[in-house]
Amino acid sequence: MLPGRIGGMHLANENPLGLSWHDSAWIPLLSPSNIMDYFSEKSNPFFDRTCNNEVVKMQRLSMDQLQNMTGLEYILLHVQDPILYVIRKQQRHSPNHVIPLADYYIIAGIVYQAPDLASVLNSRLLSAVHHLQCSFEETMMYSKYHPSKGYWWDFKTNKTVGASPFNTSQPAIKETSNTPKEEPSTLFQRQRVDMLLAELVRQFPLPVTPATSSQTNGVTVKTENTNDKDKALENNGVNNITIKQEPVDTISSDMTNGSMQGHVEIKTEIKQENMKPPPEKKPRNL
Amino acid sequence: MNEPTLRYEKIDFLGEGQFATVYKARDVKTDKIVAVKKIKIGSRLEAQDGINRTALREIKLLQELEHINLIGLLDVFGQKSNVSLVFDFMDTDLEIIVKDSNIVLTPANVKAYMIMTLKGLEYLHQNWILHRDLKPNNLLINREGILKIGDFGLAKAFGSPTRINTHQVVTRWYRSPELLFGARQYGTGVDMWAVGCILAELLLRVPFLPGESDLDQLSRIFQVFGTPTEENWPGMKGLTDYVQFKLFPPQQLRHIFSAASDDLLQLLESLLALYPPNRCDCTQALQMPYFSNKPAPSVGSKLPMPSNISKIETEKPSLKRKLLDNIDGGSLAKRLQF
Repeated sequence: MLPGRIGGMHLANENPLGLSWHDSAWIPLLSPSNIMDYFSEKSNPFFDRTCNNEVVKMQRLSMDQLQNMTGLEYILLHVQDPILYVIRKQQRHSPNHVIPLADYYIIAGIVYQAPDLASVLNSRLLSAVHHLQCSFEETMMYSKYHPSKGYWWDFKTNKTVGASPFNTSQPAIKETSNTPKEEPSTLFQRQRVDMLLAELVRQFPLPVTPATSSQTNGVTVKTENTNDKDKALENNGVNNITIKQEPVDTISSDMTNGSMQGHVEIKTEIKQENMKPPPEKKPRNL
Repeated sequence: MNEPTLRYEKIDFLGEGQFATVYKARDVKTDKIVAVKKIKIGSRLEAQDGINRTALREIKLLQELEHINLIGLLDVFGQKSNVSLVFDFMDTDLEIIVKDSNIVLTPANVKAYMIMTLKGLEYLHQNWILHRDLKPNNLLINREGILKIGDFGLAKAFGSPTRINTHQVVTRWYRSPELLFGARQYGTGVDMWAVGCILAELLLRVPFLPGESDLDQLSRIFQVFGTPTEENWPGMKGLTDYVQFKLFPPQQLRHIFSAASDDLLQLLESLLALYPPNRCDCTQALQMPYFSNKPAPSVGSKLPMPSNISKIETEKPSLKRKLLDNIDGGSLAKRLQF
């Protein structure tokens, strides 16, 4: 477990999706006019200081010059005044040809990188499969077998007493019982994801045969997970959940909490809708 | 006697310096545009010693030097008691470019200027000559984007261990700490320091260390690099004009040059080392990773020109360039295949 965790942390250091950054001295002062300065703070890990913005700033020139340059630049894409700012990182090839590279959102002064769709799907699929597996294991606890009677369900007896043949899977149960606070996705999130998916399908209509094959692929991978029980899950978790490993190393250690962290992120999204500032997070300066 | 003056047709008045007036002229013989520098006779006292010393230095040294990044002395002619020097015509200089706020100096542009400066200076140093007056104003640029080091009025041969030099050289802002402390024996380090200051100015677009007096100059240097001690500058206290300064802690260059890449900061640190023997020479500087890393230096035609000078029409890339680009594309594809 330990080496795996260290490996996961290492991966998380390279994965910007697991990072957040803020400078509490700035947060009360943030406004559309200084948000770019805030974002270009030297300690912000999302800011590449060799970008054109910094070149122009260092040379004390007007920011209008960015239009005529080529290379990496950041722009303020969207402002929802007191609380949300979206900054885009893009590659400029000419005054009217730019390619977006990444978006960053600043919510209540905390900077995150917006994940790409693949990472979102990956993590959602993984957590869904994880919960499925937990529920299978939970159910297994209640099934009883006797050569003369065959199989039957036994919900009355205490878990620990009744589950003697399945003792090996006990630790997994405890883990799952530790996380009762998992919240299902809200209507808002589901609508958003559906909308995004629909738009994506409209943009890239899938040919029929490859679509089904890729689906079955996805399913087989996940079923492997459920079959291999604990060990496979652990390994897979470390590999796939890297997006969320970074919060793990500061806040908590085990994998289930890692996926909880994902939900915390979502909560801040909901708050954005309600325009309330999210709860104070632990400062994490890099 | 009159023949040379007829050879050069005056087109325009370019400027007037302390010792000379410069004209733009056409060479009738070759139909080339040149710059004619007419040395002033000066006062009777100066005239007693014969020709002006700076002009003599330029003639003496430039006659023997030839390099793409050094200003070429094409001809020298006398007329009455005047002496005129004929140089390559240069459209602009680095000071004008640095001060033009319509120009953005990209990292690739800065690298191109540095390479040309260091190559010219390397040749100069290899021939045992110190320029001793490097500043953006003396780095001349023509419309093809070629930089040439000019104004050899203070240049001098170096290397003789017994020779005593004056320390009153180099415009103050580009003067190295050992000169400011009154060193009489110095080497290529004085030019390297100046190159470092020029590089810093290309990045900041304002003079990096604009001292108001020699003491203020030293104090500005130490405020950035920290006050040197006898440990990191052995022998400093033995210099003629040494004075003890308040102890400043060194600053991080990356905070001053916020957009500079790490390899550039490495070069800058090496050029602006306080202790002269720690300063790199041109050859070492050109070997540093900064010059082999990306981005590649801008080609001459892509270098910026001040808006009042029309750029030469070289927009379509040459055949060689196209071929090189194709080769580049090909190798990229290969790399992707593995």
